[in-house]
Amino acid sequence: MSSNAVVVEGLSKRYRIGAAHTDYTTLRDRLAGMFRRMGRAEKREIWALRDVNLEIPQGEALGLIGHNGAGKSTLLKILSRITEPTEGRALLHGRVASLLEVGTGFHPELTGRENIFLNGAILGMTRAEIRKNFDAIVAFSEVEKFLDTPVKHYSSGMYVRLAFAVAAHLTPEILLVDEVLAVGDIEFQRRCLGRMNEVARSGRTVVFVSHNLDSIERLCTKAVLMRRGTVEIFGPTRDVVAAYLARTERSAIIDLTAFSGRSGEGRAQIMGVELLSADGQQLLDSIPFGESFRVRMHYEAKERLSGASFGFGLLSEKGARIFITESFELGITYDLEPGTGKVECEIHSPNVVPGVYRLELWLSDIPGVRATDHLASVGEIEVTPGEADVRSIATLASGVRGFVYVDCAWGELSKGPGRQP
Amino acid sequence: MDSTRTLVIEPTPGWRALDLREVWAYRELLIIFAWRDLKVRYRQTLLGALWVMGQPLVSMLIFTLLFSRVAKLPVGTSVPYPVFVMAGILIWNFASSAVQKAGNSLIGAGYLISKVYFPRLVIPLSSVISDLADFAIAGLLLIPMMLWYGITPGPTVLLTPLLVALAAMLAIGIGLWVAALNVEYRDIRVVIPWVLQIAMYVTPVVYPLSALPERYRWIALANPMTGVVEGFRAALFGTPLPQLLLLISLAAAVFFLLTGAFYFRRMERLFADVL
Repeated sequence: MSSNAVVVEGLSKRYRIGAAHTDYTTLRDRLAGMFRRMGRAEKREIWALRDVNLEIPQGEALGLIGHNGAGKSTLLKILSRITEPTEGRALLHGRVASLLEVGTGFHPELTGRENIFLNGAILGMTRAEIRKNFDAIVAFSEVEKFLDTPVKHYSSGMYVRLAFAVAAHLTPEILLVDEVLAVGDIEFQRRCLGRMNEVARSGRTVVFVSHNLDSIERLCTKAVLMRRGTVEIFGPTRDVVAAYLARTERSAIIDLTAFSGRSGEGRAQIMGVELLSADGQQLLDSIPFGESFRVRMHYEAKERLSGASFGFGLLSEKGARIFITESFELGITYDLEPGTGKVECEIHSPNVVPGVYRLELWLSDIPGVRATDHLASVGEIEVTPGEADVRSIATLASGVRGFVYVDCAWGELSKGPGRQP
Repeated sequence: MDSTRTLVIEPTPGWRALDLREVWAYRELLIIFAWRDLKVRYRQTLLGALWVMGQPLVSMLIFTLLFSRVAKLPVGTSVPYPVFVMAGILIWNFASSAVQKAGNSLIGAGYLISKVYFPRLVIPLSSVISDLADFAIAGLLLIPMMLWYGITPGPTVLLTPLLVALAAMLAIGIGLWVAALNVEYRDIRVVIPWVLQIAMYVTPVVYPLSALPERYRWIALANPMTGVVEGFRAALFGTPLPQLLLLISLAAAVFFLLTGAFYFRRMERLFADVL
């Protein structure tokens, strides 16, 4: 038997955007299409992974790092057999378990005890294994008093602890873990990391995706830096993390000189965009939740433009507008001379929930009527949980929670009929 | 631990093998999913049972009123109409709800499909198992009714589990088709209840097959549920089994089960990307 636990050969994954994701096909559309040969929105192809080759020796703890959209999660999903590769293959020697989320399949109406069995089975444990580990799971979770309470009554901390406790007792030979440690309080995170360390040290092979470079460095002996669906560097963790950090700074600037998706006459064009901290002193590669930041746009004018207006919008990953701002609406227009220049806009504490977003940029020569340059979807911007309350953000970022966090206050229950006279 | 096993992950274009051995390996998950559904449904024991029994009870009362008071059936039934219609409604409801739940099961389990691997066939299969349990509970209604009307079941009553199994096979087969189609064409889920509603009136559920004029009999013959419903009642009440109809049902069940399972496996690779 080979000493490699995981061998990945020429693995590629293609997604078709626009077909399945934004507006799914309906039978009605399909039938209507038979009569009118009306082409639907053109499908775009995206290679989430392109020709990835990897050999992971048995007993290795490997970290996967890279920006959002670099292909880390796609690679993990293929190795977990959740989605199929388009090309290439992967060989896994030994029993595989994957943990892409803690508490997958937890049912709120069921008790803690019942959810241990349910979640354990979903993660691939047999009933006998769960029974054997039951006491250890309960002890790790520290929720013994509430074992027979439905988990809908749990605090989010208890919920996460129980969920992680089940996952922590998986004993596969190959363990695939996606960003799951970013939940719970600091103390609990430390214990989880300790547990992961034990697993890694016990001769199991672990593939670990995280944005937390700290935990990658502590847990993994080797790391892979992924970029645009390919493996860029594979080596000792320290070197790979250093290379990643060096690269991050550069990618804070989105160069648009060669951007092809623009429309408009182009009397002046937007050539680049940068994200900066609120004081304008620091380039950002991601925006911490709730914190103010600046958008700096670089332009190049071919001729003189007077009364021009800059605008931009934040888009969801799927292209829905979350907000837009345009200078002339706020009473500000610019006179552009031929040549290059830049303009900055500060965004005050945007309550956009953590996730990945895109930018829409435009420059109007006749504000409100016509854009001379319009870039419908540019770059990739990440909003990170930052230093906000970990618990509420964990809930915010997971699932379909909308895009904006709104501070709300709930009142007390009041009994009795109708409204008071 | 089976450490010598090597898992090969590669694109599998076109049709795939059913790999029932793997489904078998995940039988505990199958049971636990069904158990979860039942547990949640019967968490409040009384309400759950009331719901499962109340619905056929009300239907039975409505049809009894309709056919005994308002519009008289042209042909008599082998047993008093309330028992007759109750048996029909129970087996029909089982099959129809199994088709609907299996059909929608993947959409409901989208969050699991995108996070964890297990044979996807487990999802619709487990939904049918929990329907089977519902049917068993609602089926208890037949006991007091048969006692009340003094119907003693003959030895053929032992065949009823086989007929329920036939209904389950047919429902799973159609349910698998619906489930896989549902992922690609979301409006299927709007069409299905409507189709099932019509199918109920085309199938001799609330009237006996003999009430159908001769020239419309072919509709009943072409409908695989006819054999299931008529057969279930015949076995329960000890009347002659409709052998030809049962053969047609069995052939249809095998056909839908096989094609449905293969189609499901073929579409399976898209589930995680689409859901």
